[in-house]
Order: sequence, then C-alpha cells, then structure tokens
Amino acid sequence: MPPLSTLDKLQRTLQGPGTGYLFTRVFLNEGRILLADRTLWLACGLLFLFLGYSLYVGLSQVRAREAVLQGITLRDAEKADKSITQLRRILAGHETPDPFSNPADPASVASGLGARHAVLPYLALAPLALGQSDMAPNYYRVTNRNKSTFLYDGEMDNPWNLMTGHFDTAFVVIYLLPLLILGVSYNMLSAERERGTLRLLLSHSLGIGTLLLAKTAVRALAVLTTTGATVAAVLLPERGGSLEYLFWLGMIAAYAVFWFAVAAAVNALGKASATNAFALIVVWVTLVILAPVLLNLAVSQAYPAPSRTELATRSRLITIGGLNRFADLLATDYRHVGKPQVLLPKDGKIEVAERRKAHLLIARQVDAELDTLLAAFEKQLLAQQQFIERFSLISPAAVIHEGMSALAGTGSRRYTQFTQQVSTYHMDWKAFFEVRILNGIAMTEPDFARLPKFSWLEQPATALRGQLAGYALQLLVPSLLLGLWARRRLRRYPMV
Amino acid sequence: MNGILEALAVSKRFGETLALDGVSLQVNAGEVFCLLGANGAGKTTLVNIFLNFIAPTSGEARVDGRDVTRHALAAKRDMAYIPEQVMLYGVLSGLENLRYFAALATDEDLPERRALDLLRQVGLDETAARRRISEYSKGMRQKVGIAIASAKNAKAFLLDEPTSGLDPKAANEFSQLLRTARDKGVAVLTTTHDLFHAKQTGSRIGIMRRGRLVENLLAADISHLDLESLYLKHMSNQDE
Repeated sequence: MPPLSTLDKLQRTLQGPGTGYLFTRVFLNEGRILLADRTLWLACGLLFLFLGYSLYVGLSQVRAREAVLQGITLRDAEKADKSITQLRRILAGHETPDPFSNPADPASVASGLGARHAVLPYLALAPLALGQSDMAPNYYRVTNRNKSTFLYDGEMDNPWNLMTGHFDTAFVVIYLLPLLILGVSYNMLSAERERGTLRLLLSHSLGIGTLLLAKTAVRALAVLTTTGATVAAVLLPERGGSLEYLFWLGMIAAYAVFWFAVAAAVNALGKASATNAFALIVVWVTLVILAPVLLNLAVSQAYPAPSRTELATRSRLITIGGLNRFADLLATDYRHVGKPQVLLPKDGKIEVAERRKAHLLIARQVDAELDTLLAAFEKQLLAQQQFIERFSLISPAAVIHEGMSALAGTGSRRYTQFTQQVSTYHMDWKAFFEVRILNGIAMTEPDFARLPKFSWLEQPATALRGQLAGYALQLLVPSLLLGLWARRRLRRYPMV
Repeated sequence: MNGILEALAVSKRFGETLALDGVSLQVNAGEVFCLLGANGAGKTTLVNIFLNFIAPTSGEARVDGRDVTRHALAAKRDMAYIPEQVMLYGVLSGLENLRYFAALATDEDLPERRALDLLRQVGLDETAARRRISEYSKGMRQKVGIAIASAKNAKAFLLDEPTSGLDPKAANEFSQLLRTARDKGVAVLTTTHDLFHAKQTGSRIGIMRRGRLVENLLAADISHLDLESLYLKHMSNQDE
C-alpha cells in the first residue's frame, strides 16, 4: 500500500460525522483540486509577488524617512553641544559673539540657534501603509516664529506619487487583494454546475450551503496564509510589532471576509460564471473606486477644504502690519554688528537686539490674530476627518484604508494629534524664551539643559483598539448580512 | 409492502407547462423500475423531484418512507444517483474522485484498497484508476459513477438515462452491474429510451407520456415485441 500523503493524513485526522465532516471533506478536496489545476498557485503566487514588491517599497520609503529623522535628531544634539561649547568659549573670552548666532542671546537661541525638531516616530507597521506620510511631515522645526510659518506650510511629495499612491502594502490589500479573491471565487458554484459535478455532489447528503462555505473557506485560508506569512516573514524580523501585526492581520481577514461574502452572495444568485464575473467587477469598481471618490466629493461639498493661500496671505498681512507697527524697534539693530562686545552677558543680563524683540512681538501678534483662523482651519479638517470616519462604511476600501493607516501610524488622526502636540510645544518654547528676550536675561549653560523638549505622546493603545474594533465591525456586519442573504438565496438555487 | 421509492400523485408545473401530472409509482427493494418515454415526457423531472433538486407542485415523493422535500438530506443518504453523463473532477484520478464522493456519501473514509476493489468490480484496473478523469471515456466515467453508487451502500439507485451514449458492450456491462445491485436488494429507478435495456434489466416497466405514467407493467408479463408495439403506440399518440 503506498504511503499516505500529508493531505490524506490530515483528512483522516479530521474525519467525523455530520456537517462538520462533510465540510472538512469538501474543504480538503477543494484544496486538492485548486492545487492540481494550479489556480491557488497562480493566485497565491501573484499575491506573494505583489506583497513582496510592496513591502520592498514600504520598507525602502520608511528606512529613508527614518534616516532623515535620525539625522535631524542627531544634528539637533550636535547643534546643542556646539552652542554650549561656543557659550563657554565666549564666556571665557576665547571667542567674540556673532550678533546673529550668539548662544548667550536668548533671541538667537529661540529663533534658530537652539531650534529643535519635533519628531513623530514611525511605527513598526509604517511600511505597510505610507498613508498621510506622503503629505504630512513627520517633523517640524520649532522656533519662536509664528506657527503658520512652519506648521501649515505643508511638505509635498512628488505630485505623481500623490496622484497614483505608492505601491505599498495598503495598495495591494485595498485594490488587488479583492480582485484576486474575486478571481478565485467568482465561479465557486457556477463552475460546479457548468462542469456537471454539482448534481452529483448534491445528490449526497451535502447541503449547498456547506459546499459553498467549505469552498470559500479553502480560498480564504490560502489567501490569508499567503498574505500573513509574506508580511510576517519580511516585516517582523526588521521592525517587530508582533501584536500590532496580529491586529493588522485581523483587519485584513475582516476585509477578505467581506469580499468572500460578496462573492458568495453573487454565487448564490445561480447565474453563469461569466455573469458572476461581470457582476463582481461592477461591485469592485463601485465599492473600491467610485464610493471613495463620491465620499471625497461629499466631504469637499459638506466641509470645503480650508484655504492655505488665505492663511498665508492673512499671515503676511498681519506680519506686514507688525513690521510697520514696530518699525522703530526694527531700525535699531545694526550697532551690534559693529560692537560685538555689547552682546556679552553681564551679571546674567544681555542686551537683546531691539529688532529681535520686535520680531518676537510681531510673531506673538500674528499667532494671536491667526488663532481664530487656525482654529477654524483645524475645525474644518477635524470635521472632514469625522465625516470620512462616519461615512466610510459605504466603502469597505475606505474602512480598511483607515484601519491600516491607524495601525501603521500614518493615519490622519495621528497626524492631527502630532500637530496639536507640536502646537503645544511651540507655546512652551515661546514661553520659555519670551521672558528672557523681553527682560534681557542671558542664556546660561543650565538653560540649554532646561530647553523645552518635544516628546511625542502616543495615543493610548485602548483608543486605537477601540478604533480598530469599530472598523472591523464595519466590515464584518455587512459580511454577515451578505452571508445570511446568500444562505437564504441558496434555497432557491437553480439545479435544473 | 412499502416501496423504497414512492411517488404519490406527484405533479410539477413549470409556468403554463404541466411537466408531471399526478404520477404515482412504487419501487420495492430488489426491483428495477425502468421508466420509458420520449424526450420531455417528464422522466428526468421525476428524478429531479426524488433528488429534491426541484419541489413538486403537488403530491409527495418518498425515499424509504421519508418525504424528500421535508427530509431532503436524510433521504439522500439512502439514494445513489447516476446521471446520464457522470461528470467528475478532471484534474483528479478516478480513484481520488471515487474516494471523495464515497466519503460524502458514507460519512467515512473509503480505504484506498477498498476503493480500488470497487473500481476493479466495475471494470477499471488500478492503472486506469490512477489516471486523471480528463483522460477517461464516457463509459469509464459511468463506471466510476457506479462505483460511487456502490460505495454508498444505498437502498435506492436513481439513474437518469445511464446507458445513453455507451457502446453496446459497455451498456451490457452496465446492465449486469444493475442486476447485481438489484440482487443485493437495491431498489432501482432508471429512466431510459432503450427498450431492449428496459426489458433486459427491468422488473417493472413504466411508460410516460406528457407527464403521465400511462403504463406500469411487470417486465415478465410482456414480450419485447409487445413492449415495442405498446411503446410505439403511445409515442404515436404523443402529439394528440
């Protein structure tokens, strides 16, 4: 007797009576058929290639961006060390202060010499969904200038990339995974009927629902195993984040379940394979392409995007007003160039250039006057975000995009929190220097150690999990409804 | 005596067309009931009702006393079906197909040795059994169909024109296999156009016309020639 194959051994292990047993037999046989006719090899092979390339793109992008962040942090530290060394040399009389970069002058330090970067770190799963990181910067250089000059000036990626999106894993999951799922499942029942095997199958005590479920399950297992294993093998060794990965896999599973439920529902209609394929493509185009576009149109109608041009113009007008108002102060600067000795600290005091005081006052005024406009700007962005979150359920593609971005840390919510924290940090920075600049208090070495530091406060894990659970429900509830509808429709499946 | 297969005044209407009109018949254990009739007479519709692929408009079809509509899955456990063309999975071998369908039929794994025995009994040696179904002729596929039915140990066989398209030798072997099943106490309901086959294998012969069972005869009571003339008489009245 020839040795048992692994499949046979598994079959024997799993055998048992009733529906569960029949499910297992169909499941295993379907796997055998799909492997024999190379359908699964082809589908999973393509998926593997797409995911592999997307992971390469995602990892390359994040590595490059993390290198930038690392460089920035390093340069900030080097600059701080250099300033302290320079301060020591100036105080020891070994160096003449430069009026534009004097480490003893709080105005110099506040406006650039001591400027620090507020950095938003990339999360473990960032390579999976580049998301908002294309458009929203992960770092800001915070000075005592008004915040509209750095927080709202934007950092744009290559416009072509913005139009097409990166070929990242999110793209593969959102657009290509459903196509592969539909490609392997559009004819689960119709092929059996067209081949003539359906009558023989259902002449046994096998329910058509069990048949469809088992056929769906084997495809789902193949697709999810390929996705999960490829991502785990490439991503986890480099970036860790096993727990986040499990949540990500759960989200992907919910999205895949939705598309399998769509395929099952269309199969249950009892139409020909070609009709099923056409119907599923229409559903895909509607839910993945049209619905998000409609959602964007709706949000731009309901909450038009705030005008960055208007913000910049208002900011400039207020600045010009400030420049005029403080013209006297601004005109009293240049003596420091010719007399650098006045820039030396004496008894803890230093003469801060009037021009610098004027700039501080102008920035303060601009911030105060722009606050209302910025608040409206942020409110509008928040309303857009809430609108998208509320109505994203019309498109599973929008839901999974939000979910994946949230897990990868590249979602709009995290970027909004980042700008809010940067704004707070900016206020701390200004407060730290304002008293020193206006009162002419010289910077000391301990002051450099006391400079406000930005430390990013990640949102609590429970909040993220709640958000993810919401997204998963938005995918699973429609899947369940589709499944129930398909089950009901199968009772009328045309056998003749 | 209760029949294994029973049709009790079964009618089926498709829109305006009355495909079955109050058909009643009974097939007992160890009996082969051959159902003759022209195309569209309602033979396959009756088979489909027994298989619960369609529901009767009125009347009841029973397998071993169970209404096939209300107890569809249970009724199917007692029935084996062989269609006009046994269609199987082309990428799998005859052996793999048999083991799969047998497992669906019996709720237990069919050992490979036993499966090979069953295939040998229907005339397929081990070499043939291990070949892909896509390389099989129609006759070979029919034989796998019989092996599947045999593996099921069913109380009743439902056959829908099983010898259609088979060469005479294969058809004869098929008839022999049916007689073997009959001798084991299986109730067989087979539809056919082949009068010779019906007379040769049938215990009872029914003739259907326009959805009605117009004759229900004991095969032993009628000669082949009488059967032929009776059949032709009914068929010549087909358009009346």
